[in-house]
Amino acid sequence: MENNLLRYSNKALPKRINAAGFILMISGFSFGIIAYFYDAQRALQNYLIMYLFLISIGVGSLFLIALEYIVNAEWSVPIRRIIEFLASLIPYLIVLALPLLIKLNIIFEWTHIAVVRDDKVLFDKSPYLNITFFVVRAVVFLLIWNLFYWLITRNSLKQDTSGDQALTKRNIKLSAVFIPCFAITITFTAIDWLMSLEPHWFSTIFGIYFFSGTIVAALSAVTLIVVLLKENNYLHPKIIDDHLYSLGALLFGFVNFWGYIAFAQYLLIWYADVPEENFWFMHRWQNGWWIVSLLLIITHFVVPYIVLLSQPAKMDHKKLKFSAALLLCAHILDLFWIVMPSSQNSSFSISWIDFVFPVAGIGIVILAFSYKAKRENLLPVGDPKLERGLNFHL
Amino acid sequence: MNNNPLFAVAAVYDNPDKIISAVTKIANSGYRKFDVNTPYPLHGMDGAMKLKSSKLGFITLFFGLMGAATALLLAWWTLSVDYPLIIGGKPFFALPAFIPVTFELTVLLATVSTVICMLTFFFRFPANSYPIHDTQYMKDVSGDKFGVYVEAADSRFDLTELTILFNETGAVRIDQIYLPAKEVYPLFQPKFLWFLFSVFVITSIITYFSLNKLMYMEPFDWMADQQKQSVQKMSAFYSDEFGMRTPVKGTVARGFIPYKYLGQAVPADTMKNPLPPTSSVLELGKKKFLTFCSPCHGNFADGDSRLRGQFVNPPSLHTNRARTMTDGFIYHIITNGQNAMPSYSSQVTREERWSIINYLRVLQKAKNASDADLKMAKKESVSDGK
Amino acid sequence: MDNKENIALDYRYELPVVEGNLKKSDIDDLIAAPLEKKANKNFYISLALSGTALLIGVVCIAITLFNGIGVWGNNQPVGWAFDIVNFVFWVGIGHAGTLISAILFLFRQRWRTGIARFAEAMTIFAVMCAALFPVLHTGRPWLAGYLFPYPNQNGLWINFNSPLVWDVFAVSTYFTVSLVFWYIGLIPDFASLRDRTLSKTKKIIYSILSLGWRHSHRQWQHYEKAYMLLAGFATPLVLSVHTIVSFDFAVSVLPGWHTTIFPPYFVAGAIFSGFAMVVTVLLFVRKIFHLEQIITLNHLEKMNKVILATGMMVGYAYAMEFFMAWYSGVPTEQFVFINRAFGPYAWAYWIMISCNVLFPQLFWFKKIRRSTTAMLVIVILVNVGMWFERFVIIVTSLHRDFLPSSWGMYSPTLIDFGILLGSFGLFFTLVILFTKSMPAVSMSEVKAVTEGAQPQHHGVSDHE
Repeated sequence: MENNLLRYSNKALPKRINAAGFILMISGFSFGIIAYFYDAQRALQNYLIMYLFLISIGVGSLFLIALEYIVNAEWSVPIRRIIEFLASLIPYLIVLALPLLIKLNIIFEWTHIAVVRDDKVLFDKSPYLNITFFVVRAVVFLLIWNLFYWLITRNSLKQDTSGDQALTKRNIKLSAVFIPCFAITITFTAIDWLMSLEPHWFSTIFGIYFFSGTIVAALSAVTLIVVLLKENNYLHPKIIDDHLYSLGALLFGFVNFWGYIAFAQYLLIWYADVPEENFWFMHRWQNGWWIVSLLLIITHFVVPYIVLLSQPAKMDHKKLKFSAALLLCAHILDLFWIVMPSSQNSSFSISWIDFVFPVAGIGIVILAFSYKAKRENLLPVGDPKLERGLNFHL
Repeated sequence: MNNNPLFAVAAVYDNPDKIISAVTKIANSGYRKFDVNTPYPLHGMDGAMKLKSSKLGFITLFFGLMGAATALLLAWWTLSVDYPLIIGGKPFFALPAFIPVTFELTVLLATVSTVICMLTFFFRFPANSYPIHDTQYMKDVSGDKFGVYVEAADSRFDLTELTILFNETGAVRIDQIYLPAKEVYPLFQPKFLWFLFSVFVITSIITYFSLNKLMYMEPFDWMADQQKQSVQKMSAFYSDEFGMRTPVKGTVARGFIPYKYLGQAVPADTMKNPLPPTSSVLELGKKKFLTFCSPCHGNFADGDSRLRGQFVNPPSLHTNRARTMTDGFIYHIITNGQNAMPSYSSQVTREERWSIINYLRVLQKAKNASDADLKMAKKESVSDGK
Repeated sequence: MDNKENIALDYRYELPVVEGNLKKSDIDDLIAAPLEKKANKNFYISLALSGTALLIGVVCIAITLFNGIGVWGNNQPVGWAFDIVNFVFWVGIGHAGTLISAILFLFRQRWRTGIARFAEAMTIFAVMCAALFPVLHTGRPWLAGYLFPYPNQNGLWINFNSPLVWDVFAVSTYFTVSLVFWYIGLIPDFASLRDRTLSKTKKIIYSILSLGWRHSHRQWQHYEKAYMLLAGFATPLVLSVHTIVSFDFAVSVLPGWHTTIFPPYFVAGAIFSGFAMVVTVLLFVRKIFHLEQIITLNHLEKMNKVILATGMMVGYAYAMEFFMAWYSGVPTEQFVFINRAFGPYAWAYWIMISCNVLFPQLFWFKKIRRSTTAMLVIVILVNVGMWFERFVIIVTSLHRDFLPSSWGMYSPTLIDFGILLGSFGLFFTLVILFTKSMPAVSMSEVKAVTEGAQPQHHGVSDHE
C-alpha cells in the first residue's frame, strides 16, 4: 500500500503548464497596465472582477476543505490536496488587493467626500462606508483567511510524515471555527466589494448570493482539475468515477443552490417593486444589459442543470469538464454582471479590456497550483481517512 | 406431497457474499426466469443478476415536464386569457410569480406518477397471491436470510442441476415451491354486487345531503345570512318597516343622471343618438340586444320571441312604424317602457341603450335593403377584400 | 457507555451505525416489539394526556367555527397572529423529516436509517397540524375547495400571483410527497411484519398494506431508483415549501417582512426547529422502546451538531437583517428593528435570541452534545424560541408599521391558546398512535447498515 501511495503522491506537472500560466499572467497584466491608461475605470472594474474571482476560488476552496473536515467526509480525502493547492491562492490575495485599495476612488462612488456630503443616505452610511474602515476590514479579512489557510494546510502537510490522528482532530476544530468566520468575512466581502459599488442599494441575501457563486466557482475549479489530472493519469487509480460522481452531484447541488438564491433575490425585489431597491435590477436589464442577464441565467443555471441532471452525467468526464469550465466562465460573467452596470449611465458594451484580466487571473491560478504541485504530495498520504476514501464506493 | 405443479426451486443463504456468487453462477448458466429475495437491497446484486439499469427516470422526467407544462398553461390560460386581472401592476403573464406553482406541480406529478407507475406497471401490485407468499422461504427472506429461486417455467430449468448448484454455493436450505390451487375470483357474486350497490347508494346520499342540505344549515350558511338589509325585505329599523328606501327629496344617487322625459307616454321632444355606428359600438349593441331584447323581440327583432305564449309577443321591429321612429324615441321606450314592456333602465346603461339602437338600425336595414344598398355593401366588401 | 466516550475516535474506521453487535433478527424483534406486545400503562397515560389536549383544541375550534374568528385576538392592525405563527411553526417542524429522509439520503449519511421513519411520520403529522391553521383562518373551512383551480360555477380562477395560493400548492404537494415517500419506505417493513405476525387479522391488514411486496431484487432495483428520485425531488421541495412560506411575508412591502434573506433564513430556521422537535421526541422514544442501540448517542450528537449549525445560520440572518436595516437608510426599516428589540414586544425578541442563538451555543461542548438531559433542555428551548421567532416576525412587524396613527397592540385570547394546545395534542396523539401501529424505525434500512450486512466484494460494479 505504502509504495502504491507514494507512486501517486508527488507528481510535478509538466513544465509547459507552468510556462503557460506564466505567459497568461504576464500578458494579461501587461495588457492590463495598458488598459489602465486607456480607460482607468473599466480596467479597475475588471481588475476587481478578477480579484473576486480569485477570492472565490481560493477562499471557496478553503471552505470546501473545512467542510470535508467538519462533516467527516471520506470520499474527498484523496483529492483534498488539489483543493489545498487551489486554496494556496489566499496568500497572493494580499498583494493583489493593493492596486484596488490604492485606487478605491476610481470605482467606488462613496469614496468621494463631495458626493457623500450631498446625499443623505450615503452620509448616514459613512460610519460604515469610509475608506479607513473599508481598508481595515479588507485587511482583517485577508489576515483571517491567511491564518486559517496556514493553520489547516500546515496540519495537513505535517500529517504526511507523522500520520498523527490528533492533527485531523485539530483540523476539525479549526474548521468548526473557520466556517462561522468564513460566513461573516465572505458576506462583508460581498457587501464591501460588490454591493457598495451601488451604495444606495441593499439586499440582505447578497452575502449568501456571493457565497453560492463562490462555492460553485471553487467546486468547478476542483472538478475541472480533478478530471484533467485523472485523464492524464496523475491521480491514484483508486480515485474512480464514484469520486467524480460525488463532485458532480455536489456541483449540481450548488448550481441549484445558486439558482435558488438568485431567484429568491430577484423575485422578492421584482414583486415588491420598491424604488429603494428595484433600480439595481433595472440597471441590469435596461440599456442592453438584459442580454447579459439572460446569458447569466443560461450559463450559470439552465445549461449546467440540464447537462448534469441525469445520474450517469455526474461521472461523465466530458460533461463534467464542460460544465465545470462553463461555470467558471459563468462566475466571471456573474461578477461582470454585478460590477459593470454599477458605473453611471453605462449601457452594455464589450471591450478588449474585459478579456485581459480573466486571462491574467487564470494564469495566476495555474501558477499557484503548479507551484504547489511541484513541492507537495498530491495525496494526503498520512491522513487516517485516506484508505477509506480510496475504497469509496457509492 | 403437493399435487399442484411446481412453480420454482428456491435456496436460502445466510451470507450476502454466498448469495452473490450463487446468483452470478445462475445468471451465467443462462437462466432468465429467476429472482433474488433479500430483506434489503444488496450492493452489487444488479451486476450479478445482469439487470439492465432501471428506466424509471424517464417516467419521472416525462411527468415532471408534464407538471411544469400544466402549471404554466393553467396560469397562462386563467390569468392572461380567460379572466385577465391586473395584479400588483404586473403583466398578465407574470412568469416569476408563476414559478413557485410550476415547481410544486412538477414535483407533485413527477413523484406521484413515478411511484404509481412503479407499483402498478413495474411491479404489478397489488399482488398478494404470488406463489412464494406464505411459504417458509418468504418468511426467511423477510427476516434475515437471502434467497434465490429459479422458476420451473424457465426453458433451461433442470431441478438436479440447480440443486447441485445451490448445494455447492452453500445454501442453508433448498425448497420446492408449488403453485397454489387456482382460485375463482368472487367478483360477480351477488354479495359483492350488493356491496357495490350499497356503496353507490350511500355515496350518493351523502353527496346529495352535504351539497344540497348541509351547506344551507347553520353555521354553514352564514355567508348568505348576513347582518344587512336585503332587497324586498322588511326592516325593523324604520318606523314604516320598508327596507328599500326612496332617495331623499332633491338628491341624486351617485353616477345617476335623471331621465327628463320619465313617465311621459309620448314625449314632445327626444334626445339624439350620441354614438356613431362604429364596429365596437355595434358589437356592444349586439351583445346587449341578444341578452336583454332578444328574449321577447327575437334574435333578429322579428317579434318571434322565445316566450312560448307565457307573455304577449311584441310586434316585429321591421314595420314601417318602427323603422321611422327616431333614435330618441326608441331610447325613450327602452328607458321608460311601453305597454307591456317594462323599463330596462336598470339593466342596460345609457351607452348600452344607444348601442342597442344602433344595432337595431343595422338589423332593420338588413331586412329591408334596397338594390342600391346591396350594391354599396358589395362594393365595400370587395374593397375591404383588397 | 461512559468508557466508550473517553476513547478517542479512530478516523480510520467508520463509526458503527448500529451499536452492540445486534443481529438482523434482533433488530426485527426490537422494532416490531411495540406492535406485538400489549400496550402498558404508560402508553394509556400519555395517550390520555395528549388526547385531553386534543379535545381542548377541538372544543376551541368548534367555538371558533360557530362564532367566527372574531373569538381570536386578531384585529387591526395585527390581522395575522397566532394562526399564522402556529402554521409557520408546524410547517417548520415538518421540515426535519424530509431533510433527514431525503437530504441525508443523498449525502449518504447512513446514520439517518435509525431516525428517518420516525422523522418522516413527524413531518406528516406536523404538516397536518400546520394546515389546520390557515384553513381555520379562512373562517369557512368547508369552502376550502375554492383554493384549488377548478372550473367552478362562479367562473372564477385562483390568483397564481398570490403567495397564499403558492402556499396551498406547496403545502399540499409537500404533504402528498411526504406521505408517498413515507409509505414507500414502509412497504418492505409491512411485508416483513406480514411474514412475522401470528395473528390472522394483522396478517390481512399487513398484506393489504404491503401490496404483496416480496423483497424481490428485481423490485428492489426499481425501488432504490425510485427512492433516489423521490429524495432528489423531496430535497428541493423541502427548501421550496418554507421558501414559499417566507414569500407570504417577503413579497409585501412591510418593513420587517420585506427582506431578501427570508427564503434561506426560513429554511434554516425550519430545519433548526424540526431537528429540535425530532430530538425531543426521539429522546423519549429510544428510552421507552429500548432503541438505544439503533438510535445511538452518536446519532443524537450529529443531530445536535446540525442544530448548532442551523442555529448559527438563524443567528446570521438576525444579524444580517439588523445590519441591513441600518445600512439601507430607510427610516421605517430602521424603526421596525429597533422596535423589535426595544419596543413593547422586546421580551419576545429576547426570548427568541436567547433560545435560538445563545443556548444552542452550548452544543460546542461535546459533553453537552452527548448528555441526554442537557440536550432535552436545549432542544425544548429551541422549540420555544422558534415559536417566538415567528411571533416576533409576524406580530411586531404588523403592530407598528408606516402610520403611527394605526399602531396597536395584540393580545391572544384563551381560544387562541386552546387551539395551539390542541395542535400539540393532535401531534402527540398521532405520534403515540404511530409508535403503536407501525414500525417506528425502518427495519429493512437498519438491517442493511449492520456489520456484515453487505457483500465484502462488489462482484460486478453497480453502474455501467
